Amino acid sequence: MRSKYSAFAAVPYYVWMALFTVAPLAMVAVFAFTDESGAFTMEHISRVGEYTNVLVRSVWLAAIATAICLVVAYPLAYIMSRQSGAKQRTMVMLIMLPMWMNFLLRTYAWMTILEKNGLINRFFGLFGIGPFDMINTSGAVVLGMVYNYLPFMILPLYTIMVKIDDRVIEAAQDLGANPLKVAARVVLPLSVPGISTGITMVFVPAVSTFIISRMLGGGGNLLIGDLIDLQFLGNAYNPHLGSAISLVLMVIILLCMSLTNQFGGDEEREGMLV
Amino acid sequence: MSQSTIISLRDIVVEFDGERVLEGLDLDIHDKEFVTFLGPSGCGKTTTLRIIGGFVAPKEGDVFFEGKRINDLPPYKRQVNTVFQRYALFPHLNVFENVAFGLKIQKLPEKEIRPRVLEMLELVGLKGFEKRGVNQLSGGQQQRVAIARALVNHPKVLLLDEPLGALDLKLRKEMQIELKKIQQSLGITFIYVTHDQEEALTMSDTVVVMKDGDIQQIGTPEDIYNEPQNAFVADFIGESNIVPGIMKKDFLVEFAGREFECVDSGFAPMEQVDVVVRPEDIKVVPTIAGHITGIVENVTFKGVHFEMEVSACGSRWLIHSTQSEAVGSAIGMVIGPEDIHIMKKMEE
Repeated sequence: MRSKYSAFAAVPYYVWMALFTVAPLAMVAVFAFTDESGAFTMEHISRVGEYTNVLVRSVWLAAIATAICLVVAYPLAYIMSRQSGAKQRTMVMLIMLPMWMNFLLRTYAWMTILEKNGLINRFFGLFGIGPFDMINTSGAVVLGMVYNYLPFMILPLYTIMVKIDDRVIEAAQDLGANPLKVAARVVLPLSVPGISTGITMVFVPAVSTFIISRMLGGGGNLLIGDLIDLQFLGNAYNPHLGSAISLVLMVIILLCMSLTNQFGGDEEREGMLV
Repeated sequence: MSQSTIISLRDIVVEFDGERVLEGLDLDIHDKEFVTFLGPSGCGKTTTLRIIGGFVAPKEGDVFFEGKRINDLPPYKRQVNTVFQRYALFPHLNVFENVAFGLKIQKLPEKEIRPRVLEMLELVGLKGFEKRGVNQLSGGQQQRVAIARALVNHPKVLLLDEPLGALDLKLRKEMQIELKKIQQSLGITFIYVTHDQEEALTMSDTVVVMKDGDIQQIGTPEDIYNEPQNAFVADFIGESNIVPGIMKKDFLVEFAGREFECVDSGFAPMEQVDVVVRPEDIKVVPTIAGHITGIVENVTFKGVHFEMEVSACGSRWLIHSTQSEAVGSAIGMVIGPEDIHIMKKMEE
């Protein structure tokens, strides 16, 4: 009786997934492997190879941004998780707050800060230093990624760490572990699910972004996202090539994720509850 | 038993958010003793234990371990280990790794760790469970892992924070006896925190009764039970009838509307006192032969004895007797001089 009911209840979700996940994916795959006339071709897939340098740059910059996010977010999330309830809520709020501001506006703000005549250069100009080239560098792109995606690293880490019982940490101290050993042998292994979720949630949007690279990276820091954007909305209009690049990017992301999940163990899904 | 002092607490004051939890606590704990801190929740017993473990820093006062002041020593440098309330096992490690944790931190060679862990698991009755995840264990088994994890480090003192609170009654009784056996066979000091007076009486060499951040009485279980120092201790340890009385002179007290001979002295003449009588010390006799006459209000069968509630002279009396009387009938009560315990009035 119960199984019949739950099978029935799942129908809307099957429909949803068929319409919005399976069908679009299939369409992207079809576009990638056909030409204008609809005949099968490997031409577009093989052309993706021409953009290897863009792919490598995208993965490389996204990886750097993810690493910086992890290093910044980890201690912060731990400190947050050890505060009293009221303080925790305030800190979570402060981290979420910028996310409610429009993404474009946040990135645009960085443009005005980093520009040749921007805030920073004008400040240094007062002392006769500079101006520095900050905008239109890969550094600016990484900064934009870190700034925009940092909350996605902090929140899963925090959600996992808040579940670590104070008594377990005390037990480790009691058994002779100094603060460094407590971190390495108790906190780190218990927070692995949060780490792998955080990496996924930062790396995936960062590797396929095109707004950040366009606004902060100038023309010289084309990322794979810009490339795909160009194939659909730009002068280089070619949805078949765009689909092929998207498909390759998806495979790369899947490979990267399976790599991080290698370290995540069986429980990493817990961190997805954010 | 050798009576050398291993831990001393001197004038300990602890405040949480401005509220005093311990006020000037003084305590000596002797080597190889089974000491129990007993008291209702909020009396400061767990706080006292956490001071010894190093998890609470006292605002005032000194903590000495083997004569050395250890106030500023962090927990990981202290020669004590703790069995935490609700165990606090490491969820990412299996049974063996949990027990081996302390030894690995000490960087002992692997070939020394293994036999010590296995020996300890055998001691707590968990041989063959090494590979199990701790979440696959029952409450009682988790408890044993927590005990093994602490004891494997050969601490000089083991601290136990209500370790049996989460277990069912039968298992709790078994573990009480086992813990006592382990303590005797290893010959180390156990400091045990509980609110269960029966547990305290069963296991301890010394019981420290606490209330509102103060020590009420320190003594052997027999002392505490038979010679409670005040009405709180009498009431908390076992059941008691506590009635107001007046000390007429040495060895003569007035309560329940008449004078009784007693064995206490040293009070001021006509001093207001609390009179404590254990329910099992009241003998039920025909009304003519009784010191006090009362009406039976209620009778409950308790297995070994009947518990009767009797109203007499304006107060309620609890009587434990192997014979039951009909509800509503009048009975006589006899209380012998040595069964009357006189205590100074508690300041409320």
